[in-house]
Amino acid sequence: MTRGMIQHREPFLNTIAERLGRDRRQSLHKPSWQYQPQLEVYKGHSQENLLTIFIEACESVHTEVREIVTMDLARRLNETIEDYGGGPIVIGKDQRFVDFKLMETLQAFEVHQWDLQLRQENIEKAAEANIGISFSDISLAESGTTVFLHNKEKARAISLLPRCSIVIIPKSTLVPRITQAVQEIDQRVKAGEEIEAYINMISGPSNSADIEMNLVIGVHGPVKVVYLLVNDR
Amino acid sequence: MKVSLFVTCLSEMFYPHVAKDMTEVLERLNCEIEFPAGQICCGQPAFNSGYLQDAKKAAKQMIEAFEAAEYVVTPSGSCAAMFKEYPSMFEETDIIWRKKAEGLANKTYELCQFIVNVLGVEDLGASFPAKATYHTSCHMIRLLGETEAPFKLLSHVKGLELVPLPNNHDCCGFGGTFSVKMAPISEQMVDEKIKHVEETGAHVLIGSDNGCLMNIQGRITRQGKQVKVVHIAEILNHQEEGGILHANENRNGALL
Amino acid sequence: MPMKIGTEPFFERVDHSLHDDFMRQAMVSAQDSLRNRKLAATTEDESLLDWELWRNAGEEIRRHTLENLDYYLEQLSEHYAARGGHVFFASTAEEANQYIQETIQKKQAKRVVKAKSMVTEEIGLNEALEDIGCHVLESDLAEYILQIDDHDRPSHIVVPSLHKNKEQIRDAFKEKRGYSASEKPEELAAFARKDLREAFLKAEVGITGCNFAVADSGTIALVTNEGNANMVATLPDTLITVMGMERIVPSWEELDVLVTLLCRSAVGQKLTTYVTGLTPDLEADSIDSPKDYHLVIVDGGRSKALGTEFQSVLHCIRCAACVNVCPVYRHIGGQAYGSIYQGPIGAVLSPILGGYEEYGELPYASSLCAACTEACPVKIPLHELLIKHRQRYVAGGGHPKVSEKLSMKAFGMGASSPLLFKMAREVVPTMLAPFTQDDRIEQGPGPMKLWTKIRDFPAPSRTNFRKWFADHTQKMGDDL
Repeated sequence: MTRGMIQHREPFLNTIAERLGRDRRQSLHKPSWQYQPQLEVYKGHSQENLLTIFIEACESVHTEVREIVTMDLARRLNETIEDYGGGPIVIGKDQRFVDFKLMETLQAFEVHQWDLQLRQENIEKAAEANIGISFSDISLAESGTTVFLHNKEKARAISLLPRCSIVIIPKSTLVPRITQAVQEIDQRVKAGEEIEAYINMISGPSNSADIEMNLVIGVHGPVKVVYLLVNDR
Repeated sequence: MKVSLFVTCLSEMFYPHVAKDMTEVLERLNCEIEFPAGQICCGQPAFNSGYLQDAKKAAKQMIEAFEAAEYVVTPSGSCAAMFKEYPSMFEETDIIWRKKAEGLANKTYELCQFIVNVLGVEDLGASFPAKATYHTSCHMIRLLGETEAPFKLLSHVKGLELVPLPNNHDCCGFGGTFSVKMAPISEQMVDEKIKHVEETGAHVLIGSDNGCLMNIQGRITRQGKQVKVVHIAEILNHQEEGGILHANENRNGALL
Repeated sequence: MPMKIGTEPFFERVDHSLHDDFMRQAMVSAQDSLRNRKLAATTEDESLLDWELWRNAGEEIRRHTLENLDYYLEQLSEHYAARGGHVFFASTAEEANQYIQETIQKKQAKRVVKAKSMVTEEIGLNEALEDIGCHVLESDLAEYILQIDDHDRPSHIVVPSLHKNKEQIRDAFKEKRGYSASEKPEELAAFARKDLREAFLKAEVGITGCNFAVADSGTIALVTNEGNANMVATLPDTLITVMGMERIVPSWEELDVLVTLLCRSAVGQKLTTYVTGLTPDLEADSIDSPKDYHLVIVDGGRSKALGTEFQSVLHCIRCAACVNVCPVYRHIGGQAYGSIYQGPIGAVLSPILGGYEEYGELPYASSLCAACTEACPVKIPLHELLIKHRQRYVAGGGHPKVSEKLSMKAFGMGASSPLLFKMAREVVPTMLAPFTQDDRIEQGPGPMKLWTKIRDFPAPSRTNFRKWFADHTQKMGDDL
């Protein structure tokens, strides 16, 4: 990896230290925080409870949730695609489509799978697609959120450009709230791992209240979002 | 219990009946009242306008006036809050004055706060048959953190129908010199406050800070409106005819 | 457009705003709505257990971070650069703009899309880019609306187009972009979606702000609802992020707390629709990601607050909770402040960044009701900082009226002399007798005129409370 350039840092930071009345801080031990209220929220809740909380939260972020048993997934996915207007569909290169045996179902529609060889064409397909389908990596009960740890093959455009976004959520990915998701990421950072370039936590369809504080659903990102909550054990 | 009255400059200059009502209420609660003669003004007008040195003069006068007091009680949330500001007005190196200021701050109470939280009394045997609403003064609720005491006291006043004031936490637009320095804005704020008072249908507006009341009442009378503006001390001292004591001087701004 | 809004003097701006009926209605309605949403998502949300603990957590994190700002900025720059991104530390707006101009010129790029960023407004970035022949398109719906409507200025940190009604928006779209549908918000938004979608796909450079940079991973976190920031950070080949230097957290752990405080305080949501962490990555064969990353860290006068009693103003997370509870803002709206930073935070910050000459009235445009201090999710003592500004202003930072200085001196003397006070008590009723009628004063003399213009003033009492008290006590003593 070529290192990027850093310019004008020293005078800038020296000014800060000077104003703070001391020398530059070269090392620092971050304190343990006296207040950590985030650790108490939904502490000790069972998966059952979290599920209930999640489903309620999805309603408040205008997202339909369909609860599905694994063996029904292919069929229910088919149904959902039809319900939301059918193809064209765009998906990432994600092993979970194979693991959950969904490729056959998908191929019944006009579907494009992200292919690095096809370069810009992928984006065009995504922009033209009616539906983008993805898997949630971590799911947050409190806010009805799906967390995507994107890489070049599980592309960002899939949950961003199409009109509708279908997200398949394996129940095992459910955690109480953003706290647990960031803990996971934080641990990886501290272990020296290079985290994904684009980590996106999405809670429902895009929206805006910029016009007279009237809520409009669906601005630049997807206009509709539906979750398929799958019992994956 | 020995209580030192801190009546406030506004009360001495314009609303002495509030000071009298406060005196009688506290006496009825078996407080031994004394009035330190050195008291003048808490210094808010200068402090809030940024004139720290001039405000400090006022502060030192007050600190000395109340040095011997055990409990300092005042019918003004903002003045009590100003006393609590005194310690920060002195440099950390000014140890003596800082300590004295802390001493005063720790023994100062707003009237309702004192009656409910220190004396532990809520029913003063008062009566005031009227439909009323209550304006919560900003400095009392936010700087003193006292939101409950006035309501507890008013809930026991016989005949009083207290209706909630919409947006009661919104400032009335006084803010001391703000009311004249930023008059056009202050005007809009007090008009909105009065609008909300009218929405309640109340005949009486009660408050705990003469600054707020002076502002609201001044606008109400200018607009020829009929709502009476009353300090809570007047309500609390109002006994039924033939009851025990009540202040016998002519009262402004009260009665039915 | 830079931080300053308009050229009219303060009282003219206020007067202008007080006569804008639509804006005033919009402010009242927006404040009531945003306040209630915040309450429902904070103090009234039992699942959070105790909102006060959250505020303490926020304050603790921000205080520590600012006290060690140099350390964390250094760490951020190291990690961002290690991932292949370029970092430019800009002490001034000019330096920031110059760097960004040069970067874009090197690429010979012209088409720029922007996500919402207060700091880019502050430094006047759009003008700087237009100066080099770029076409800059604002993609946040409110900023898009303002840009179309002859570069109107923002009136609220979070909802910049609050002062505009849908008819005005429809008319601007019609005139400038060939819009032909109705004033219904859904239709206006659908038009923006289509119009901007083209621009996103064709843009060469994307510019974002930064809600919080994560120091130990070199990540830029964006907190949005519309999806436009994600478009801007995904589709163009070059990504430039501009951040105010104080917008930083030590690690993802603190990001959790601050994002929670921000979303709930600003818009009453548990999380906004998109909470995105962007970290540079130069993977050549990734398609929907930038190939070139730049982070411009701006001081722009913020360092002036460090090491002073104003340091805590840099704790701000730009949630506008203070703006939403301010009774002054409620009536005069955002543009009357003459700064893109309005309301209580604006009244404290603008004079620090821009001086008392331009912004000296702002700290006085407050009744010190402290609603802002109460609302702030990171416990900035805003009303106290307004008083500190006033102290500096009268001590020589500004131009207080001589008459005011004199009357305050007189006050100081009077308030420390029982004799003077006694004289005042005795003399004032007589002095004001000519103006008194029916126990009130309707047209006061001199300084009282300002009061009596809109309010009656009570007649000074002739009753001497001290005498009453002395007699009363005597009487009580006699009765015993």
